[in-house]
Amino acid sequence: MDSLNSLIDGFGTALTPMNLLWAAVGVLLGTAIGVLPGIGPAMAVALLLPVTYGLEPTGAFIMFAGIYYGAMFGGSTTSILLNTPGESAAVVAAIEGNPMAKTGRGAQALAAAAVGHFAGGMIGTILLVVLAPTVAALAVDIGAPDYLALMVLAFIAVTSVLGSSRIRGLASLLVGLTIGLVGLDQMTGQQRLTFGSLQLADGVDVVIVAVGLFAIGEALWVAAHLRRTAGEAIPVGRPWLGGEDVKRTWKSWLRGPLIGFPFGAIPAGGAEIPTFLSYVTEKRLSKHKEQFGKGAIEGVAGPESAASASAAGTLVSMLTLGLPTTAVAAVMLAAFQQYGIQPGPLLFEREPDLVWGLIASLFVGMVLLLALNLPLAPVWAKLLRIPRPYLYAGILFFAAVGAYAVGGEALDLVILLVIGLIGLGMRRYGLPVLPAVIGVILGPAAEQQLRRALQISDGSVTGLVNTPFSITVYAVVVLLLTWPLLRKVVVRRRNVSA
Amino acid sequence: MSTESESTESENTTSVSTPAGSTSSGGTTSVSTASVSTRKGNLAAWWRERSELGVGVLLFVLGALVLTDALTLDADLAGRGPVGPATVPLVVGCGLLVVAVLLSVDVLRGGRGEAEAGEDVDLTEPADWRTVLLLAGVFLAFAVLIGPVGFPVAGALLFWGAAYALGSRHFHRDPLIAAALSLLTYVVFDKLLGVPLPGGPLMGVI
Amino acid sequence: MRLRTPFALLGAALLVLVGPPLLSPGSGSDTGTRIPGLRFMVPNTPGGGYDITARTAAKNAEEADLTGDIEVFNLPGAGGTVGLTRLVGERGNGRLAMSMGLGVVGAVHTNETPRTLADTTPIARLTEEQDIVVVGKDSPYKTIDELLTAWKGNPGKLPVGGGSSPGGPDHLAPMLMAQAAGIAPKDVNYVPFDGGGELLASILGDKVAFGVSGVGEYLDQIKAGELRLLAVTGPKRVPGLDAPTLREAGLDTEFTNWRGIVAPPGLSDAEREKLVTLVTELHDSPQWRESLKTHGWNDAFLPGEEFGTFLAEQDRRVGSVLKELGL
Repeated sequence: MDSLNSLIDGFGTALTPMNLLWAAVGVLLGTAIGVLPGIGPAMAVALLLPVTYGLEPTGAFIMFAGIYYGAMFGGSTTSILLNTPGESAAVVAAIEGNPMAKTGRGAQALAAAAVGHFAGGMIGTILLVVLAPTVAALAVDIGAPDYLALMVLAFIAVTSVLGSSRIRGLASLLVGLTIGLVGLDQMTGQQRLTFGSLQLADGVDVVIVAVGLFAIGEALWVAAHLRRTAGEAIPVGRPWLGGEDVKRTWKSWLRGPLIGFPFGAIPAGGAEIPTFLSYVTEKRLSKHKEQFGKGAIEGVAGPESAASASAAGTLVSMLTLGLPTTAVAAVMLAAFQQYGIQPGPLLFEREPDLVWGLIASLFVGMVLLLALNLPLAPVWAKLLRIPRPYLYAGILFFAAVGAYAVGGEALDLVILLVIGLIGLGMRRYGLPVLPAVIGVILGPAAEQQLRRALQISDGSVTGLVNTPFSITVYAVVVLLLTWPLLRKVVVRRRNVSA
Repeated sequence: MSTESESTESENTTSVSTPAGSTSSGGTTSVSTASVSTRKGNLAAWWRERSELGVGVLLFVLGALVLTDALTLDADLAGRGPVGPATVPLVVGCGLLVVAVLLSVDVLRGGRGEAEAGEDVDLTEPADWRTVLLLAGVFLAFAVLIGPVGFPVAGALLFWGAAYALGSRHFHRDPLIAAALSLLTYVVFDKLLGVPLPGGPLMGVI
Repeated sequence: MRLRTPFALLGAALLVLVGPPLLSPGSGSDTGTRIPGLRFMVPNTPGGGYDITARTAAKNAEEADLTGDIEVFNLPGAGGTVGLTRLVGERGNGRLAMSMGLGVVGAVHTNETPRTLADTTPIARLTEEQDIVVVGKDSPYKTIDELLTAWKGNPGKLPVGGGSSPGGPDHLAPMLMAQAAGIAPKDVNYVPFDGGGELLASILGDKVAFGVSGVGEYLDQIKAGELRLLAVTGPKRVPGLDAPTLREAGLDTEFTNWRGIVAPPGLSDAEREKLVTLVTELHDSPQWRESLKTHGWNDAFLPGEEFGTFLAEQDRRVGSVLKELGL
């Protein structure tokens, strides 16, 4: 009840005309910067930090919240329309969103993403208000063995995205794991597969891999088989979500936050793994499994909602523990410090107006974001109506800008091209692209948690299963593994006869 | 070549009111027919049929590379427990070798990876590798040129070159579009956002 | 149609060649401390320590009207050595500087890069920060002595958490402590985390026996009683914090993390002097004083040659510790 009162006070702060204006400016700027190639939310927030210098802290952070959510949505927009994710949380949006856009359902994909962000953000922020102290206390109990258990669960889930040919899916996953190996070993600092190049020492960025495999690979593959005769423009289709769309997606919008929020709140959770888990969940539960990979709207709605809720979850540990779990949170922490404010256990007591104003402005920002972007979705979708040569040349151009802008290294462009050529080869020989991207995300994370768990237990293998949490997750894994086994026998018999 | 693309171009810009075939979400796009016809096309070419063995070879080479790299690591460095810096690379390397062999066996037994279909992809035509090479070349040229000639010039060349490779032949229009896009991007990144991009040889001269 | 093509090409060429320089504002005069077109490289990601130092310094220098716009850019990678390699490659460029610190010294050793800090032109050390030894509030160790006794008894069973990879400041501090306590550095069970955030979670959750981090990082958690501060690693106690130094606890060692600025090699005396003067005036400006206070940084100004001597000494010290570890 106490927090409810504080929240109402917070709305009083957030809804003053000036602060409302800052929130709107933040959402607009964030969306505009977020759609730029190579600029994810962390970069957008860092770049726009100076804009807030002139404001007093409350106004600055309200604008900040707008920028953050705006940039996240902007990243999904390019992911859906151009197949070029600007950050790792938007990778999954490209998988179903881009095929939808290509078949003239871009507006629906964008609308599903916008509502997904809205739903995820809303539910996530409500959970933040209600659960913040509880979640924060639980979050620090999650340790390396628990993360490892979650990774094992995620690896089991990968089997459902391996595609029609298991062996080719596995090959793709291994290629991804290999790319993930590149760089300095986290524990001993030794170079692995870097061939002495310092530029490779930090590994290959997931975004570079995703843009290379998705955008460059796709552009090259299309170039090899460009339909030169029947060059129909991409149909625009209906501008709004139809009743059927909503019927298919409302559950996904609500399911997303359940996966996204807890992952965001735990220290090493981040947004990649929950978006990917949400995708797999939607695929499992969908009545339209055959559409997955070709533009299933649930595959956009669920992960986007999860990503947004995970961002809200990030704020839990940031505001209550002063614990930045993502790059964006780290930048925000730095911004807090600019104003001489230290997020942490004392923040709610010391700066209640600021914190509750910020939380209230998250709700306001979400409403503004939806109001702004729903009408814009059909406009954005028309972008795909430009002639094919310009469209694909533009995709190559923006992919290149994005890769170069991050580090200013020409080598990144060469890496991007090489990965693009790998993507081309994978398309030619029917190796699914998705497992490779997942390998790049999961591989290094799983290895790090495994070795950290062993390090903490001084090398004892029991250190991997010494928490109730990890034991529970492994029990779920065993259940998942044995349950479809019976069904698989039936399916396999059917496959053999086919 | 140029007339063909000209017609593609005009069709692109004129056909506005194409009814959307798949607006209702229940409708599935008909991609499977395309891949069936590719298979038939592939059957004709005996060599192309077996070219997937190359993927197996590449995977094998990659696996060998990962294993060699893993074996050169100093394994007893400050680590604890059974998993050292080389363990995961060893597992991945061995996995690659196994998958390479399994894939090759699958290909020899007649298994085929299905080439990916798509809206803009016409699998009935043989692959046009010239365009792919051209695009890759243009991209590589961008990577090489961005340092010496700056982003605006290299970026314009990248966009124009890519559009040219993909069949656009509007010489009176394309360079200007490319230059404007490149300059605009430069301004947004370098001037407005403060993300530095090289300006070119005339910076500081004029 | 035909005629328009050459015009289009000419127009396009003009646009991309002449546009950028025309859009750049005049770079201003070259007098006093002004260095037109000065760029500031940050060898790690936005939000990191070197980034905040560089951006704050650039902002303060502009506010104090010491120079025109300073362009700050990030070139992260391999603990700062990617940036260092670029800096050394920009031989003779008097309009470039790089923020750096102890972490880069360690990274040069662990990555065995051919370019080292001895190749750069030292400009100045700006700030320093002690490290702290902390445990969670439920930890069995109430004092540094209890912790040290347990640690000496079984170093393997007491994992030490730090926010930097091997060779970084949070790694060096416990290694120096171990050396002084008579524990072989190889026996220290050091667990690296991705920065202070993840480390904090594992200390709060008692996943590691103790953590080592910068003093400014966890002030609030210490005040709120979530973390227990056992010791500070510097030569003197930190005002406001109730914890002994390592020396008071009987460990004959001290450790202080620091940040500074270096420039490319091969500068003329005039160019070098100009950069040193700029940074010296920055240091004397009220804006910088204010920033030191808001960020809780300790002033540790050390310009030019003296900073070079200091760098060489740090390099030897870090090198000897890492050598013992076989890194």
